[in-house]
Amino acid sequence: MAAAPRLLLGFLLVLACFSETCFATITFSSLPRTLVVTASHPQRLLKAGEDKITVRWGLNQTLAAGTDSAYKSIKVELCYAPISQVDRAWRKTVDNLSKDKTCQFKIVKGPYTTTNQSSEWTIERDVPTATYFVRAYALDAKDNEVAYGQNTDAKKTTNLFEIQAITGRHVSLDIASVCFSAFSIVALMGFFLAEKRKGIKAQQ
Amino acid sequence: MEISSNGAETQPKFALPVDSEHKATEFRLFSVAAPHMRAFHLSWVSFFACFVSTFAAPPLLPIIRDNLNLTATDIGNAGIASVSGAVFARLAMGTACDLFGPRLASASLILLTAPVVFFTSIASSPVSFLLVRFFTGFSLATFVSTQFWMSSMFSAPVVGTANGVAGGWGNLGGGATQLIMPLVFGLIRDIGAVKFTAWRIAFFIPALFQTLSAFAILLFGQDLPDGNYKRLQKSGDKQKDKFSRVFYHGITNYRGWILALTYGYCFGVELTIDNIIAEYFYDRFNLKLHTAGIIAASFGLANIISRPGGGMLSDAMGKRFGMRGRLWTLWTVQTLGGVFCIILGQVGSLSASVAVMIIFSFFVQAACGLTFGVVPFVSRRSLGVISGMTGGGGNVGAVVTQLIFFKGSRYSKETGITLMGIMIICCSLPLFLIYFPQWGGMFCGPSSDKTATEEDYYMSEWSSNEKDKGLHEASLKFADNSRRERGRSVHSQTLPSNATPPANV
Repeated sequence: MAAAPRLLLGFLLVLACFSETCFATITFSSLPRTLVVTASHPQRLLKAGEDKITVRWGLNQTLAAGTDSAYKSIKVELCYAPISQVDRAWRKTVDNLSKDKTCQFKIVKGPYTTTNQSSEWTIERDVPTATYFVRAYALDAKDNEVAYGQNTDAKKTTNLFEIQAITGRHVSLDIASVCFSAFSIVALMGFFLAEKRKGIKAQQ
Repeated sequence: MEISSNGAETQPKFALPVDSEHKATEFRLFSVAAPHMRAFHLSWVSFFACFVSTFAAPPLLPIIRDNLNLTATDIGNAGIASVSGAVFARLAMGTACDLFGPRLASASLILLTAPVVFFTSIASSPVSFLLVRFFTGFSLATFVSTQFWMSSMFSAPVVGTANGVAGGWGNLGGGATQLIMPLVFGLIRDIGAVKFTAWRIAFFIPALFQTLSAFAILLFGQDLPDGNYKRLQKSGDKQKDKFSRVFYHGITNYRGWILALTYGYCFGVELTIDNIIAEYFYDRFNLKLHTAGIIAASFGLANIISRPGGGMLSDAMGKRFGMRGRLWTLWTVQTLGGVFCIILGQVGSLSASVAVMIIFSFFVQAACGLTFGVVPFVSRRSLGVISGMTGGGGNVGAVVTQLIFFKGSRYSKETGITLMGIMIICCSLPLFLIYFPQWGGMFCGPSSDKTATEEDYYMSEWSSNEKDKGLHEASLKFADNSRRERGRSVHSQTLPSNATPPANV
């Protein structure tokens, strides 16, 4: 009789442990900063769609060997600096990584190697005008983040760079807008004239 | 020439049965017969187009805010600007309808605001974004011309229904645009355009739709069952009225002001919800933007039956209980809308929230329809000004509500919604003060004074000079036709006296 409740308790405990692993929320503050990331660019103000950023990442050599045993792949992302997050809740930094919106653009994703790697990335044309830094996450076999590195300090104030977005405007669009607008106004005036003529006719 | 007679007459030239003013006494939804039903379809489609244009930006904001580098404050200000432009535009439109006719007034406004929608494609900063949203919002003044046109084409038994369906199906645009714009944007982007260019091209669709609807109004519409204002004025059948008199009689009618306030707390609330509800669901329940957008759209889409339902309910109540029935129903439905708004802010689960929101949308939109079952009777000479005041009041309500409860982070959105519900209930109370001497008010019956007839009420808007010139003829006909607002039991007792003098003798 005493065994049954104990079994139940044990079962529940095991279940709890499993749920911890299955649905564990990964927080940014729990990740160790073990990677060293640098980003180089031709000038501080970069143009989307034209300029390139060269990103280098690798394990911090001063750490003990075996720190990176769980790292299977690397994900490097472009992230918003605090100044570009002010009054913009859709770019908010949240500790829970599944809800975090700091890093919204993927630079490169690939397998992890112990040697340092680099990648040259042309800034995509849908990147908005803002101030950025680069962050790399090390992922384990289940694609969960287990470590990170970034090219700026913990307060995200150094080594930031600005990207200027494309306007999205084209001369053909401008001309089309002006033409259609003018057409609307001219058509309205034409109708008024026609109405006036009809009015005069009705009087006659 | 024309010989007027009492009671309904079926002229061979009209497809629908008409009254002595040639206004239709029946509403046939699936007919496009000129001039009545054609006017109906032209007005609701053009109003729908204006709503689509005005609320075309919100569903695309995730793209636009990155392209134009907008902050949350910029977005909030643009949202307020989009509904504030129409406050005075609606009043101006009301006056223009009284003076120039709804056909020219609405088509002119639509064609003058279409360029702004085209120019949205070349917006490049928060300031230009705010300006295009502000000026595009002016097009919402076509609401007034829609209601005016329906009140000119349809008679008392169906005027609430006609106003309600035209207004409701136009308001639908606010919901439909949340589905149309992302779809158009997706198509253009898949064809090969970059995101920041695709949204700009997408804006050509609402702009073109708006322009074409204005052309249709000018080509196929007419102001009154008998013809257009200009032709009728030139041939002497319609008198040209003076702006100062029309305006004066409109703004000195206290009922117009009360309705302006109460409309601010049904339609104004509807506009506010259009602007904030997607974000509310997205933030509170962590939905995807796409899902939040669909829920937001469903609020606006309820207009397909809720506002028309309000109009029909107003007509049904008017038939049985007269104007007093219309007023009581309006107050009841709007207050219940406030109650459900309070509940919406309090519920914490997603399914309960969606359910309450849908019930809330029915009540608040029906109240809009019910309001415009009362408006056509407040004034005959200044119908446009009264419609404009009420319509403008709706937008003022939206601006005030967003400023007090939904700007910055003073109140959480759910607290704001609850407080808005309380404000709805409080601001619906002034309906008790509306009183028509010939029909009564909510608490008082009609005056037993001998001078409290429909004719006395509508003739009070004309001076004796003007009456000598015969300018008041149309109002006299309307007074006769409005006698059914006494309600069924009273109407059958008082046979209509032959108060209409033979015309044109």
